[in-house]
Amino acid sequence: MTIGTHSNTKTNAILGVVVVVLALIIGFIWIPADIDTGIFEKARRRLEIGDAFAPTLATTLLGLGGALLIAEGLTSKSNLKVDARSLVFALGLLSVFAIFIALLLWTGPILVALFGAEGAEYRLLRDTAPWKYLGFITGGTFIVAALISFMEQRFTIKALVIGTVASLAMIILYDLPFDDLLLPPNGDF
Amino acid sequence: MSVLDYVWLGILAVFQGPELFSFFGMSVSITIAMVLAGFLLGIIVGSTPGLAGPMALAISLPILISIFGYSQEALLPVMGFLIGVMKGATVGGAVPAILFNTPGTPDAYMTTLDGYPMAQKGEAGKALRIAHFSSASGDTFSDIVLIVCAPFLAILVESYLDLPEKTALLILSMAFIAAVVGGSPAKGLISASLGLLIAYIGTGEDFTPRLTMGYQGVASGFPIAAVILGVLILGEVFKSIEDLWQENKKDQSLTKPVQHKASRLSFETIKGLFPYIARSAFIGTAIGALPGIGSTLAATLGYASGKFRHQKVQDQNATSFGNGAPEAIAATEAANSSVSGANLIPVLSLGIPGNASAVFLILAADSIGSFNPGPSVFRFTVDSVNPELVVAFGLFTMMMLANLMNWTIGGVFMRSMGIMALVPKQKLLPVILLLTLTAIYVQETKMAAVWFTIGFGFLGYFMRRLAISPLPLVIAFILGGRLEETARGAFSATGSDPWFLFSSYTSIAMLVAAVGVVFILSIKGKPSA
Amino acid sequence: MMKKTLFAGIAALGMLSATASAALAEWKPSGPIKLIIAFKAGGGADTQGRLIAEHIEKTRGWKVIPENVTGKGGVNALSALKDQPADGTAIGILVTESLGYNMAAAKKSGLKPSDFTPLATTAGFQMGLVAKTDKGWKSIDDVVAAAKTGQKIRFGAMSPRLADLAYLLGKAKGIEFNTVMVRGGKGVMNGLNAGDIDIGFGAGIQNKAVAAGDMINLASGMSTRLKISPDAPTLRELGVGFDADGYFVTVAPAGLPDEARAALTGAIEEAVTKEGSKAAGMMKKAFGGATVIKGAELDKLIQEGFDSAGVLMKASQ
Repeated sequence: MTIGTHSNTKTNAILGVVVVVLALIIGFIWIPADIDTGIFEKARRRLEIGDAFAPTLATTLLGLGGALLIAEGLTSKSNLKVDARSLVFALGLLSVFAIFIALLLWTGPILVALFGAEGAEYRLLRDTAPWKYLGFITGGTFIVAALISFMEQRFTIKALVIGTVASLAMIILYDLPFDDLLLPPNGDF
Repeated sequence: MSVLDYVWLGILAVFQGPELFSFFGMSVSITIAMVLAGFLLGIIVGSTPGLAGPMALAISLPILISIFGYSQEALLPVMGFLIGVMKGATVGGAVPAILFNTPGTPDAYMTTLDGYPMAQKGEAGKALRIAHFSSASGDTFSDIVLIVCAPFLAILVESYLDLPEKTALLILSMAFIAAVVGGSPAKGLISASLGLLIAYIGTGEDFTPRLTMGYQGVASGFPIAAVILGVLILGEVFKSIEDLWQENKKDQSLTKPVQHKASRLSFETIKGLFPYIARSAFIGTAIGALPGIGSTLAATLGYASGKFRHQKVQDQNATSFGNGAPEAIAATEAANSSVSGANLIPVLSLGIPGNASAVFLILAADSIGSFNPGPSVFRFTVDSVNPELVVAFGLFTMMMLANLMNWTIGGVFMRSMGIMALVPKQKLLPVILLLTLTAIYVQETKMAAVWFTIGFGFLGYFMRRLAISPLPLVIAFILGGRLEETARGAFSATGSDPWFLFSSYTSIAMLVAAVGVVFILSIKGKPSA
Repeated sequence: MMKKTLFAGIAALGMLSATASAALAEWKPSGPIKLIIAFKAGGGADTQGRLIAEHIEKTRGWKVIPENVTGKGGVNALSALKDQPADGTAIGILVTESLGYNMAAAKKSGLKPSDFTPLATTAGFQMGLVAKTDKGWKSIDDVVAAAKTGQKIRFGAMSPRLADLAYLLGKAKGIEFNTVMVRGGKGVMNGLNAGDIDIGFGAGIQNKAVAAGDMINLASGMSTRLKISPDAPTLRELGVGFDADGYFVTVAPAGLPDEARAALTGAIEEAVTKEGSKAAGMMKKAFGGATVIKGAELDKLIQEGFDSAGVLMKASQ
């Protein structure tokens, strides 16, 4: 495990504060608003543990952990490596995933609308080749090629080929031998 | 049905499973083939730096379930494959550690210290043989301890623990895992409580699902696979992607070291190594039996204890630890390999997973159904057959079978795997990512599940960056539902007694231990796991 | 679930010979049928759904794709099914309790029986009140006697409706049970075996143990007596005004065209009753044979189940 060498005494304490605030929000706003039964419930004339009990307990522990972390952070050095670059990286990665899922979901329906038979609907073709593979191949090729290019910081045809081959291999692995399995995105239609 | 009858049924279940093909009139069951396939895959995966056993387990599980379905007959082949992977990966990790100074799995790090110097001296073959021999010994020893201990522990638990004590036991296990693995007790607590919270989203007794923010997609809770694969696998993949992106220009050229002496291990050598192996096997097994402490700590302790003995016993001319001492490899590999079997003691006897591999075995059992790891498995019935017990003995049989494979062909196969370290991670990781997401989709058939997995991947990524171990989260997530259910049951069963946790000395003792372990470790700091 | 298209040839032959159902076969789904199974993958209920799907694919040539939507006693599956198109390309398999008590209790879901078109039941439960033989109890009266000596009796229930019935049984007998909610029939069996609970409802899962003499059915949870333990009295005979009758049932969203309903119902009925079909074999083994209720009779059963749920909930408050 690579842990960076930034010796920042306060990082842990700050993280602790964030966790405590999070626990307070969950405990005092989310749980009361989004759970129908209380911490205890009257059912069939008996007192029973309600649905809010376990989440409340978990939240209390979360807050306790945060408080402990503040104490730890104030007394000892931390060795954290989280900086703006991690956030930029995470946002970049997230947008790659967003494009990936959009390709999965929309390639098929768009191509059916453009080239399918009159009145054809993707929902009804979700188990018909070649329509059912379109989204997966484009999406799969995209994400593999994009990530390889990202790590190598250059775009190569090789990356594209690896993506396509990998997607095809997964079709062979999952779709051809099994009748009941649905590749993305065909279960959503 | 005597105990021996069950043992025999378990062995039969493995050998007389559905026939794959027949070999000179002898039918080979598909279960045996799956154990072998898993074992070989495990060695390959273990020998590939950046791929670890859990990752292979995570990806193969959905594929296996697609092949074998959810029937009772599916259990042994699927579990056999997973056990094979687990064992293979344990052995394989030493290959790139010795040949290229890069550990294939985290716990093979200590092996690089002496394995690589040996390889540089032209003794790569010998180092690999020692690693294999020690690993196989440690693994086999640990399995024997498992087979002997798990049933007794389970029977003990089942006959002495009532619902309140079972609740206390779950609390103790989670506290222990959080305190020991979390990075620090505070971080462990955060990790575990996040796992609990995630487990409580969308579930509950009431007909209105809780904490869903009105979103029907989580009404039956987050899919187990999405949480586990997201936090454990994607989190690690994201981190590796970022690391590779940042060090992109670094050119990795690995050359296989030349080897002078291709030597079989002489009896003398083995005799000399034996004390180190035995000592480490004990250490590894003891550590493995405690939930949450991983093989990395076992390897560290095994190495340290071996070094201590080496300094005391060996003469001046012997190679010292760190400079290519064969004893060091033996001590490390025996220790980290003997964790895996013992790790299943809490899984099979209590249903509590202690490490990532065990998490996937639980996930497999849970997905297929008809086998619930836990105390109820070891119910020795007299008149009727308890099918779960047969499965348990089937598991033991497969473990011993995998050990047999390890002893016979494991070494040869392992020594040929040096090439795996040359696979470029940049090309491998994206394919693994796609495979994981596809596997999730195939199981859940909802794009939402893919989003959840990605989301939990980011959670796992940031936790790693903040030095918070994701393992307590995953284990708490798995146990969260059971904890709530048991506590509810205990409360109702005692006639709504709010003090049910303090109703017996056993449960009070467990609670005290739970608080104590967190408290003591926060003061003293944690052992380096 | 290996590739079924390997058997496509055989299936095609089967279709040709299925001329008997030619009248029904006129209706055809416009695409693959989504079968929402309200149970966890792997259990008996799930297997039942998948076998029915397999049979329909083989004999009708319609593509059926099973999908599991679990949780909240089938309410989650119903919510998912409600939003699907009502053209015969989406059906669900669940229990009548989901459309009755559970739907009534899940007020926030906004679901009502008229949101769905019931197709056919496939099997009924053999709901019994079970205890381990080594407790020494031979009848409910023994349990009541034990409770009256001060012993706390733990009662395992796998759904709120059964918990209500447990409460009412206690009330009828003048005792109070400590009712423990457990997860499914498997939870009841494990609880009984571990001694965590003393008695509990089992929907047939206990049959093996009862036959072997390890467990005993103390009462029938249904309006009729149990096939395997004809001596055990029903809940009504014990003074409880309700029963736990229940069936596995297939439904489609409301507004399903009549010919689609007839065709789907016919296909499902054939799958669970036809001699030699895998689904029928499984029904016999697991549930003692198929019970098919359909059409107007089923509509009435579902509506009554929903209406009586409110009465039961009130009675046990």
